[in-house]
Amino acid sequence: MSISLEPMPGIPESLVAERVSPARALRVTAVHMGTVAGLLAVAAGTWFDVSPPDAYGVCMACHGRDLVNWTINAAAGTRLTVAPASLVYPLLTTVGVFLGALVAARHHREFRWITPDQPVKTFLYGVLVMNFALIAGGCAIRLTLRTAAGEGLGASGFAAMAAGIVLGTWWLRWRATR
Amino acid sequence: MTAAIASLLIGLVLGYLGQRSRMCFIGGIRDFILVRDTALLKGLLAFGVTAWVAFPLARLVAGAPLDSPAAADAVTVALTIAAGFGVGYVSTLANGCPLRQHVLAAQGVTSSMTYLAGFFAGAVAFHLWVAPALFRLLP
Repeated sequence: MSISLEPMPGIPESLVAERVSPARALRVTAVHMGTVAGLLAVAAGTWFDVSPPDAYGVCMACHGRDLVNWTINAAAGTRLTVAPASLVYPLLTTVGVFLGALVAARHHREFRWITPDQPVKTFLYGVLVMNFALIAGGCAIRLTLRTAAGEGLGASGFAAMAAGIVLGTWWLRWRATR
Repeated sequence: MTAAIASLLIGLVLGYLGQRSRMCFIGGIRDFILVRDTALLKGLLAFGVTAWVAFPLARLVAGAPLDSPAAADAVTVALTIAAGFGVGYVSTLANGCPLRQHVLAAQGVTSSMTYLAGFFAGAVAFHLWVAPALFRLLP
């Protein structure tokens, strides 16, 4: 049986991917992932020196920034900002996530090349999300983590992020049904 | 060194689980609004609740003092709210949170690789131009 992998207009890619995957592939649920991520994020900050700042255990944007800036600083002698946790050696969360997902995709034969539709737009989305995340002090994960740590500023960022998702989804739906 | 190795190992675990579970920290709210699907939303809640319970327990076990974060000024709060909104809105348009984009890129989705190129270029752009501009413009 052949299944089309073309993303449908207005339907997010992740939903399509979910539908075509075999049932056994969904044995690890989002709840498992969330629970493990929560435990590891707290443990990283408390026992494995992934701090300061507080509640820094897992963050795709800040840790990615640390890695890129640390590498450029080391190579070119610049002084781009890195978090105190990344001063000596950079945090490698982003590399780990990429490799872990690569292993999982290869292992379960889910690695497929899927070609982009609008590369310039996607590139800009990446630039924008990184910049917003660095201003807000965290990507979606760290804003949640800061909220869980009881930080009011992080909670206001999380609430604004939720509002952004709601409006973004409405906009996507409006555009798809127009 | 500890932090680098720990973060690499934690990343490996999260990347593997993230690929298997299709976890997305943006997609939970999006899917709930779009199709009333709560699978990813439960993951987001599980993450938040686990961390919320684990933070005080870890502090207790490690014997670290309870620190009260410094009060933020109005400009910081406004910036955090505006930028937090931007993170949510643009991530929704981009079809997933940064973690999900890393996972999709590792699965061979080239648009997510393009996203990551912009993501990392954005970090450099932020510290070279955006942050200095913000410091200059804001009181």
